[in-house]
Amino acid sequence: MKQIFVDIDKCTGCLTCTLACAAEHSSSKDIVGAMLEKVQPRISVEAVNGKAVPLMCRHCEEPTCVDACMIGAMQKDKETGIVSNENNDQSCIGCWMCIMACPYGAIQPNEEEGIAIKCDKCNGREVPACVESCHTGALIYVDGKTFAQEKLTKTAKALTEAS
Amino acid sequence: MSDCKTCPSVDNCYSAHEAVNQMQERLDEMGVDTVFTRYEKQQPQCGFGMQGICCQLCSHGPCRITPKASKGICGASADTIVARNLVRLTTHGAAAYSHHLEELAKTIKATANGKTPYKIQDEAKLREIAKVAGLDLNQTANELADQLADVILSELRKDSEEPLALLELFAPESRKKVWRELGVIPGGVHSEIRDALTKTMSNINTDPIDLLLTTVRLSIATGYTGLVGTVTLQDILLGTPELTESEADLGIVDPDTVNIVAHGHVPLVATAVLQAVESDEMIKYAKEAGAKGIKVYGSMCTGQELMQRKGTTASNYSGQLGNWLSQEHHIATGAVDLVMMDMNCSIPGMKSVADKFHTKLVSVDRILRMEGVKDNIDYVPEKVEEQAKELVKLAVDTYKNRDKSKVQIPDHKSAAVAGFSVESILGALGGSLDPLLDEVKKGNIKGIAAVVGCTNNRNGHDSKGLTIMKEFIKNDVLVIAAGCMSSGAEIEGLMLPSAADQAGDGLKAVCKALGVPPVLNFGSCVDIGRIGVAVTAIAGALGVDPSQLPVVASAPEYLEQKAIADGVFAVSFGLLTHIGPVPPVTGSPLVTKVLTEDIEGLTGGKVLVEEDPLKATEKMLAHIDKKRQGLGI
Amino acid sequence: MQYVIIGNSAAGTQAAETIRKYDNAGNIVIISDEPHAAYSRCLLPDYLAGERSEKTILFKSANFYDRNNIDTMFGKKAVDIDSESQKVYLGDGQTVSYDKLLIGTGSSAFVPPIQGIDEPGIFNLRNLDDAVGIKEAAKKARRVVVVGGGFVGLEAAYSLYSLGLEVTVVERLPQIVPGQFDAKAAAILRNDMQAEGIRIITGDGIKEIAGPSLWNRLFGKTGKGVLLDSGERLKCELVVVATGTRPNVGLTAKTGIKVNRGIEINEYMETSVPNIYAAGDVAETVDVVSGELGLSPIWPNAIVQGRMAGLNMVGETRKYSQMIGMQNSVEFRNVPAIAIGLTRTPDDYEEIVIHRPHLNYYRKLILKDDVLKGMIFVGDIRRAGVYAALIKKKVPVTKFKQQLFKESFGYSSIIS
Repeated sequence: MKQIFVDIDKCTGCLTCTLACAAEHSSSKDIVGAMLEKVQPRISVEAVNGKAVPLMCRHCEEPTCVDACMIGAMQKDKETGIVSNENNDQSCIGCWMCIMACPYGAIQPNEEEGIAIKCDKCNGREVPACVESCHTGALIYVDGKTFAQEKLTKTAKALTEAS
Repeated sequence: MSDCKTCPSVDNCYSAHEAVNQMQERLDEMGVDTVFTRYEKQQPQCGFGMQGICCQLCSHGPCRITPKASKGICGASADTIVARNLVRLTTHGAAAYSHHLEELAKTIKATANGKTPYKIQDEAKLREIAKVAGLDLNQTANELADQLADVILSELRKDSEEPLALLELFAPESRKKVWRELGVIPGGVHSEIRDALTKTMSNINTDPIDLLLTTVRLSIATGYTGLVGTVTLQDILLGTPELTESEADLGIVDPDTVNIVAHGHVPLVATAVLQAVESDEMIKYAKEAGAKGIKVYGSMCTGQELMQRKGTTASNYSGQLGNWLSQEHHIATGAVDLVMMDMNCSIPGMKSVADKFHTKLVSVDRILRMEGVKDNIDYVPEKVEEQAKELVKLAVDTYKNRDKSKVQIPDHKSAAVAGFSVESILGALGGSLDPLLDEVKKGNIKGIAAVVGCTNNRNGHDSKGLTIMKEFIKNDVLVIAAGCMSSGAEIEGLMLPSAADQAGDGLKAVCKALGVPPVLNFGSCVDIGRIGVAVTAIAGALGVDPSQLPVVASAPEYLEQKAIADGVFAVSFGLLTHIGPVPPVTGSPLVTKVLTEDIEGLTGGKVLVEEDPLKATEKMLAHIDKKRQGLGI
Repeated sequence: MQYVIIGNSAAGTQAAETIRKYDNAGNIVIISDEPHAAYSRCLLPDYLAGERSEKTILFKSANFYDRNNIDTMFGKKAVDIDSESQKVYLGDGQTVSYDKLLIGTGSSAFVPPIQGIDEPGIFNLRNLDDAVGIKEAAKKARRVVVVGGGFVGLEAAYSLYSLGLEVTVVERLPQIVPGQFDAKAAAILRNDMQAEGIRIITGDGIKEIAGPSLWNRLFGKTGKGVLLDSGERLKCELVVVATGTRPNVGLTAKTGIKVNRGIEINEYMETSVPNIYAAGDVAETVDVVSGELGLSPIWPNAIVQGRMAGLNMVGETRKYSQMIGMQNSVEFRNVPAIAIGLTRTPDDYEEIVIHRPHLNYYRKLILKDDVLKGMIFVGDIRRAGVYAALIKKKVPVTKFKQQLFKESFGYSSIIS
């Protein structure tokens, strides 16, 4: 299953990914429209000592947010693996238990609508909007094994070249 | 200062000054945003913007230079985009300085014709400058002043093809030679600005090197008009600075008086107001309102100007509150009744804080407008006497709304010496620079560092500037400060003779012998021109080009566009110019290389970018040593 | 393999689902004394307010039991267990044998011994049936007194207020939500609720609930009089009692299972008797913050314990020891609040506090030796889970202690 991985060194903090996320989840499907509709992005870029670090939902194998949801709105889809509180039998009640549970802080309260919002991997889009929009290649959409393999190769190569 | 753990400041204490931290705590409690908290919310900042590789000129954009897009849509490279952006920033600085100079020239003309409450203070300087400018000295001071003002105005308004007369008259010969070879001798400032703006419109001048040379040319134009020209005219009108003593920091605010703050750069209105508050009429008005009197304080450059004019404003000026970053915190004392804003550096955030108190903001400059500020008393030289009274009345009326229970004045203040200029230094040294130069030759003073410019939250309010100043004096380098850096040094007591104790043995001895502080207060941002005049004088006395001097310039907390013009001017003057925050040029390896390396071969000066204050001082000290060796001292 | 689960709420259903995932063949039966499909007790106040229906408070889909091949015995109460013969006895006389048994009987509302409390017109809010009753009674009521200023009481109060009733909450202790938040947090939440017009009385207990007959005699109309210890009298037509719960441990009486207030379980959800497990409100586990055994009647804990019990019941031996007893999230009116772990600072512990009640903002972190032991966030609850993880995993915070309250603090600050 493909996941969104982050190459922190490449992130410039331009926040384009957050704009693309908002656009994807708007009715107009473009950035300007999303801003007018006041759509809240579902991902964030955090600042650590002046470095920009994108924070993505990991769509965990055993999501603590699903455990915490007391209405069963938050579910992990058996096929896609996407963890979302939308489009399930029950709807989110805005109790914020999932926010209390997520150790990554990847879920945010939408105070206006009274629901929790989080990444839904763009609900079946071939490549999530944030990844597609990233200009520097800091966001990568690939399955875990491939990512690990590539990282292994890169590290090995660097070690060989250094010696 | 309570708890480091609950303070949401990014890396360090908000401010190097206790009083400002206290007021920040107060504003935190009130839930009021300030420049400090808004800075946090802006993180992380866009890397494209920070590298200068974002171009928003045309509707194809905004374009960024990225791993997958190495050129803008029009084909512009990172070099072009960065160089173009840099020129645009410089034009802002040039234009603003030009506004200040023009207001001054108009004021002098009006004064010469007897229409203002001012009078020509330094006739000797007027005659000296008039002589160099080739005016007929067989005239009254007023006639000369009127003509000199015209000369200045024509310098501003003439064509870019007509070389600046001020440069011709005042620049060192060796510098003129360098600039001529580079083809950067500028003409009339307004034309130069127009040319630069035209060049930087999309798809007109896309040659990064030519654009950089344009920046140099524009900065030199600014240097001789906006800096040297302004300083000279202000000395003539308001009096050349002489040594005076004053006070700084929020603790100087008097809870029992009507309190007016002059905030900005152009001291003309404030000068008239300082006259007005002495009048019986105004004192009576204030007393009737329940106050003991009326006091005028300064914030930023206007304050520095008022502080150093011994002959005029210094006598009843009440002291410097702080600088750019603390402008909101001055109001947070709850004891500021009126803030008079002129030209630049009045942030909209100040209005939000003022709204939480009774404080009124007023614009005293026709180009300054702020949302929510309805009171605009735009300076007109012929009307300023009446305008000053109107402003004082406004302050007293606002004082009546002051909630005494909300007044909270931090208990911190420091004395400070101001008024250093070439003239006052010469005066202190007995008429010649030789005593000073002897100490430099002997090595008691290793060199001179101009630590100038803005203050910046990127590095913690004033902390990097103060660190650098202290490091320099520890290493026997005499420090000259101007601009917001002066405010910082005043508040922390570095501008007192007693601060010599923090200096190295050599410098300490000299300072104690002369009774001067190790950090000399040259005044405001435009007084960087004064530093230029000083460096010219020293170079002349030693018979060398400024680039050979053991002198460095440092703007460790530069913020805005006037500072960019100042910085490039210093580089053009042949000085190693250190800047603290990383300027938006790193996206172009070419521009970065030119500014930090290649330009040294062209002008003798270059940019040193170093965020760490200790490393920066180390590098600058090494440079000073190198120059000393070059001079054989 | 015969898996028997007593209890059809968070723990029970989660266990059943987990067992079925690992064991396709075994028999799973869920016994519950309530006749309904698995609904979320937490949402009863929303049901009361009319914002949710019986259908939209279910937390498992309608075909959950069919899809997972679970037999159901609803509306039947389990009254006794014979751990020797491994049998469960139901109230109607039936017997159910088990190989593995999970007790997930939850807890019941505690009814304080107040005179007049067992008269009609007085309700708990623990079950759907309670909520149905209250809703019905509310139609004919104008004023309601809610006894107990804890979560359930205040949620009920707000729900009834939104139905148009005049509400008074009476709490015995000096603050509302005494078990969940500290005094400063409680004060902010109280201010917020009172701004709505709900009257909140604290520091006063109920002396007596005067019945309808006395009322009728005195005033000639139906209604209740709630007499407080202070002497004040409150008139109302409806009383809701929400003064806490007690674990339903009754059916273990003859089994010899170790019971304190709840059924003691180890890290494998096992009780002291082989093949019997317990999970949810009825169970006691070691709290990662206090290090002591205690009840943890919180929804996420019940879910996790249910899942763990299921895993261990099928032989997928799994240990779980990161339970925080106290974790609560609430937003009665406009101010959200989250509390995890300790809420009051013991003497030799450290606390970091920002208290701005005029801005409805309060943040407190409690630490011991640089390890987070508790947190309260009122007003701004973003990223609360990051701090919860620090508490659960006992991560030393020395390296980023100065940054804990920064606008920018989050997961990234920890891994950098």
